[in-house]
Amino acid sequence: MDRRTTTGTMNDADLAQVLSQVRAGDSDAWGELYRQYAPAIFRFCRRLLPAREDAEDATTEIFMKVRQKLGTYDSSRPFTAWLYKVASNHCWDTLRRRRIRQDLETGDLDTLPLEHPDPSQLERLQAEHTSKEVRTGLARLPDRARMALVLRYYADMSYEEIADTLGVRRAFVGVLLLRARHQLRDALSESGGASALKASAGGTP
Amino acid sequence: MNHSDGHFDEMTGLLYLEGQLDPGRASEVSAHLGSCVPCREIVHALETEGVWLREALAAEDESIPARVIAAPERGTAHWGWIAAFALGTGGAYTLWSSFVEPWLTQASQAGFTQGNLLTMLFFTGAFWKGWDAMRSLTEFMAVATLGTLVIWLLRKQWQRFTAIAFVMGALVGALALPQPVAAADVQHGNPGYTLPAGQEVKTDLIVAAERTRIDGDVDGDLIVFSDSLIVNGHVKGDILAFGAEVRVNGPVDGNVRVWCQSFALDSAVARNAMAWTGASDFNEKSRVGGTLTLFSGATELDGKIGGDLLAYAGDLSIGGSLGHDAAIRGGKLNVGPNAEIAGQTKYKGDHEPEVSPGAKLGSPIQFTLVKRGTDYTRGRYYWHQILYWGAGFLLGLVMLLVMPGFFFDVAQACKRVGPAVGFGALFLFATPIAAIIVCATIVGLSVGLPVLLFYGIAVYAAKIFVGAWLGEQLLGPGVGVGPALGRLALGLAILRGIRMLPYAGPLAGLIIAMWGFGALVLVLHRRISAPPAGGSLSAA
Repeated sequence: MDRRTTTGTMNDADLAQVLSQVRAGDSDAWGELYRQYAPAIFRFCRRLLPAREDAEDATTEIFMKVRQKLGTYDSSRPFTAWLYKVASNHCWDTLRRRRIRQDLETGDLDTLPLEHPDPSQLERLQAEHTSKEVRTGLARLPDRARMALVLRYYADMSYEEIADTLGVRRAFVGVLLLRARHQLRDALSESGGASALKASAGGTP
Repeated sequence: MNHSDGHFDEMTGLLYLEGQLDPGRASEVSAHLGSCVPCREIVHALETEGVWLREALAAEDESIPARVIAAPERGTAHWGWIAAFALGTGGAYTLWSSFVEPWLTQASQAGFTQGNLLTMLFFTGAFWKGWDAMRSLTEFMAVATLGTLVIWLLRKQWQRFTAIAFVMGALVGALALPQPVAAADVQHGNPGYTLPAGQEVKTDLIVAAERTRIDGDVDGDLIVFSDSLIVNGHVKGDILAFGAEVRVNGPVDGNVRVWCQSFALDSAVARNAMAWTGASDFNEKSRVGGTLTLFSGATELDGKIGGDLLAYAGDLSIGGSLGHDAAIRGGKLNVGPNAEIAGQTKYKGDHEPEVSPGAKLGSPIQFTLVKRGTDYTRGRYYWHQILYWGAGFLLGLVMLLVMPGFFFDVAQACKRVGPAVGFGALFLFATPIAAIIVCATIVGLSVGLPVLLFYGIAVYAAKIFVGAWLGEQLLGPGVGVGPALGRLALGLAILRGIRMLPYAGPLAGLIIAMWGFGALVLVLHRRISAPPAGGSLSAA
């Protein structure tokens, strides 16, 4: 399921017409566009930013940017992809400005050993935790890890788009995603009291 | 394969699943998966984990806030600006026509012949210290403007920078304060200060002491902060005094300006005199060459005033002579048998003036009786209420546009009536006390004064938050800035109506102030103590 194609209920023709009216300065069309996409963008921000108020502010600010930048949007590309790009850039800028990220540096990540999980333990972890618990665990991750997971598995961004947003090499995105998955497994294991996911010695496929 | 035992690693499995491997490598992995059960299991586990992650992230178990649901339509705020502009214009006109113009006219009629009162007070009086001081003021204004701009730019980081901005702003403010006058003799009494008779200070004299006695002469201005001040010597400049009791027995060549509990003049002041006092006594020997301006409780005026008299006095008794006109507003006026008033006398007060038959008046006293209490029959009263409403609405409009998130939060916090009123009551009274205590130290002054300033703004803004909340309760959740303005306008109008009620109105006003102030405190506390990034997403 591509989230970006399921955001909003307008079909392509309607969307094209609304965008054209917004460009012409039609306030009603702008209202329609906002109502269609603001809830999804709010949820997206909610998964990236620490507080509900931050997500509310960010949603408002993202749409202000969208209105300003609509002239730069290439209509041959999907609108939602462009919208999520604007939103992810804004959220990443917000997080970066706060300078309270706990990410490890790229070099450290490159050399981090990633032990293989035990498939059965992974399945148990998935069975034991609700969606809410997953999002709570996600909130405890370093900003970049959380960004990577949300951009990929919520906003369905490509590796190129993720690399562009986070300012990393494309080849590094896979490492970032795998590392983020490991961190999330660890966070959920710690909170849920589940047994360690790491395979015991020699237990790798 | 990446592993020495012939299997591929988890990274390769993930990239394979996500279609990130080049075709050759993907075929290789695909072929391996067909024959390797452990690798197939790990790829399957990664795949289900991806689906699980997508489902968890897509789950919608949190409501969308009202202000996010609808479009922030730009056009909807226009009526708010038009209303605010109209009210602002009306307010400025009313302020001018009701207060400033009559005051200037009154001052002019009272003989303030130097154009206007401000000119007289600042440019020829003891306040005017030359263009250097004006330059300092200009610099201060520039710094203040810059500070406001910086706060505007940093408004998004407000919750993170509150403490820093507060202290830095205060320090900037403190640094921008005019430097102490260098060319003056500064004396600190221990505990009292006396300038002995026969001695002369050849420059300005500034004294801070418990008791001050000036028996010698001062060839400049005398500025005193003292419980008790007695001036027996000759002051060739102005006297500027702050204290409980001030008595001037010696001649003054300049002006006298005093802020004190009781003031007595027993000598000649060559120019003007102004007194803000609880009680003042101008005895028979007192002389004021220019105008006398009084803001005083009980006043005995038995001396001779060369110019005009402008008095706001509780109880004024005139037994001396006035060279020109008198404009008096107060509780009681008594004109004694020896009184002489050369010009016109206008008196507004609560009681008829008592005029002795022996008094010599240039013309009969023009008396206007002042009615106390609210006059609900006057249209002007309702116009003023509309202006008060407009002032609140204008501030609300600005807050809504400048910091919508914060505004909505505080308005929402008003629904917690109990905690809001409780905290409001506590902080409404505790904040100024704490700020004044902090002001007692030099360092604390730079924090205490801004706190008092923000406190004043916050208390005024309290009703706006309550009004916004009330409007939303009545009309339902707002969607966007335009509807929020409508709700604010309605809520403020209702609160203004409550405030107009006789007797209960002022009490309701106090409760509303506590309520809104408490909501503000709750939100500030929540924002300042909000966890940094990494806090629970489900916390809200």
